[in-house]
Amino acid sequence: MKNKSPNQIRPFFSIALYSLIALFRNRATVFFGFAFPLIFISVFGLLGSNGTSITIGVPDGRGSGPIYQALSRIEAVSIKKGSEKDLKEQLSQGRLAGVLVIDKNNSPSLFISQANPQQAAAVISMTSGVVDKLNLKLANVTNPVIKLDIEEVSGRKFSFIDFFLPGMIGFALLTTSITSTSFGLIFLKKTLVLKRIFATPTKGLTILLGQGASRMVMVLLQTLVIVLVGVFVFKFTLVHGLFTLTQVLILSVIGLLSFLGFGLFVAGIANDENTAAPVANLFVLPQFLVAGTFFPIDALPSWIQPVVSLLPLSFFNTAIRKITVEGLSIDHLVPQFIGLAVWAVIAYILASRTFRWE
Amino acid sequence: MKGTRTIIQVENLTKNYEDLVAVDNISFEVREGEVFGLLGPNGAGKTTTLEIIETLRKPTSGKVIVDGLDIEHDSWKVKSSIGVQLQDSGFYPDLTLVELLKMFAGLYQVEIGDPIEILKKFSLEEKNKSYWQKLSGGQRQRFSLATTLIHNPKIIFLDEPTTGLDPQARVNLWEEIRKIHAEGRTIILTTHYMQEAEELCDRVAIMDQGKIIEIGTPHDLIEELLATGFKRKREVKKATLEDVFLQLTGKHLREE
Ligand SMILES: Nc1ncnc2c1ncn2[C@@H]1O[C@H](COP(=O)(O)OP(=O)(O)OP(=O)(O)O)[C@@H](O)[C@H]1O
Ligand SMILES: [Mg+2]
Repeated sequence: MKNKSPNQIRPFFSIALYSLIALFRNRATVFFGFAFPLIFISVFGLLGSNGTSITIGVPDGRGSGPIYQALSRIEAVSIKKGSEKDLKEQLSQGRLAGVLVIDKNNSPSLFISQANPQQAAAVISMTSGVVDKLNLKLANVTNPVIKLDIEEVSGRKFSFIDFFLPGMIGFALLTTSITSTSFGLIFLKKTLVLKRIFATPTKGLTILLGQGASRMVMVLLQTLVIVLVGVFVFKFTLVHGLFTLTQVLILSVIGLLSFLGFGLFVAGIANDENTAAPVANLFVLPQFLVAGTFFPIDALPSWIQPVVSLLPLSFFNTAIRKITVEGLSIDHLVPQFIGLAVWAVIAYILASRTFRWE
Repeated sequence: MKGTRTIIQVENLTKNYEDLVAVDNISFEVREGEVFGLLGPNGAGKTTTLEIIETLRKPTSGKVIVDGLDIEHDSWKVKSSIGVQLQDSGFYPDLTLVELLKMFAGLYQVEIGDPIEILKKFSLEEKNKSYWQKLSGGQRQRFSLATTLIHNPKIIFLDEPTTGLDPQARVNLWEEIRKIHAEGRTIILTTHYMQEAEELCDRVAIMDQGKIIEIGTPHDLIEELLATGFKRKREVKKATLEDVFLQLTGKHLREE
């Protein structure tokens, strides 16, 4: 056919620019893209900061002696004082890891409870470590038969925020790509905005690319805002500074390109806004919960790990933490990129089969 | 104003939706510079016919030529050269009128100068910072007409442009349509108001159940009917209730 479509560059920029403006005036998009991740970061960033420490109760007036001093010098241990009765009560509720009572002869007793077995195990090994060391010292053993050599490998100091914040970038990316894109397209279709645009010399593909471009700007801004708030408010570590930031931004764009296909697919299978919500959530929520947003995938039961680690968001979350935690550059992320690419191909094929303009 | 050149030629156009024949083998032509009305009851096939000519729907069979261009082979050129106001359409609800005009200028790839000037032409200049969703029905129709004209098209399609408007807004829109027509454009419109057709149209086609059953000037069609001995049941008064309404409430536009 000799039907030659006009140059689509100006229509593309028009759609991209004005979709972006409309996007920023949409409360839901701004909430899920910016406010929601920042709220989560504030809540978990503060809560999670002492997640690995162990609290040991020591009754009032017994806070002396070599065992006590050695224990309180350990960085991961914090000591809580109080009456013996109160402390034991808290122990049985799982709020303390253990209660250490040292009698007048300097003979220690450690109380633990099964309310929090992991903490109990940790406090036992720590306390017995301290006691063993003291015993050796008192027995004048300076050269024990077995000696544990501990060497520190140079490393950076990471806190919970360094784990959690990249997961929030992944979540914001996922909602913008899937929920906001599918809602946006269905809305434009239902309100006949698309029909009016189709009366102009603009191709369908131009509309999709324009919508995609507006999401790309949105995602870059989200990532930037989350990282900057993280750095300045929550002491988020950017391992190689600006370089790491650039890598994270590039990865966000790659993630978006991969996830956008699912947004189109959801827009294809849901007919109106009411069905779009549950269908989009079907893609977003399970991944949000298991794919490494709140806890590492290794923390899941081992039988489910292989499945979970193949989810699109898992690839993204693994990749972004390799950049922010391990300090790698994106050329080390080939396996994750392959994973994202495979999902992208699947999503775009599904989308092209289901998406209808009318 | 009215030339004799044919600017739109529709030949044996048919459109089926599954087993429903929405447009049934119709043929007609529109002459350059005329206001052509497509009349008919709900479901007659008016919108379907217009949207096929506008290249928004594919015909089942038949041929349509718009200003020398075949809609099948030159749909992009057709889209660029016609102005379209759809029966139902929407605009981004969260954009202002100025933003929407700029966006449509981009989509049609034209330069528009000052958008406020365009809004002024349609008495919308005070609404330039309003979001589209905040406009009243009449303002939406006028704004839609502004986007229809943004690329200065020679041929304009208006699908029920005055439906749902109050008498003031309708009279005002007639003025707009007359102005557009006076600029030398060809206008094809549909309406359910016969008074409107009589006021505006040079020729009308009457459609029913997908077929065109009559074409002619309003004057000729009325004469033909009278020639059959038709008589109104009751002599009409020299004024209508609409005249009373406009006399009482004034002709100026509301909602501003
Ligand atoms: N997309 C569609 N799918 C199936 N049937 C359709 C579709 N669009 C229109 N129709 C049917 O085609 C017939 C003609 O519809 P059309 O909208 O062209 O009528 P119209 O003359 O514009 O009516 P109205 O005055 O109510 O606007 C109707 O019976 C309608 O139900
Ligand atoms: Mg109609």
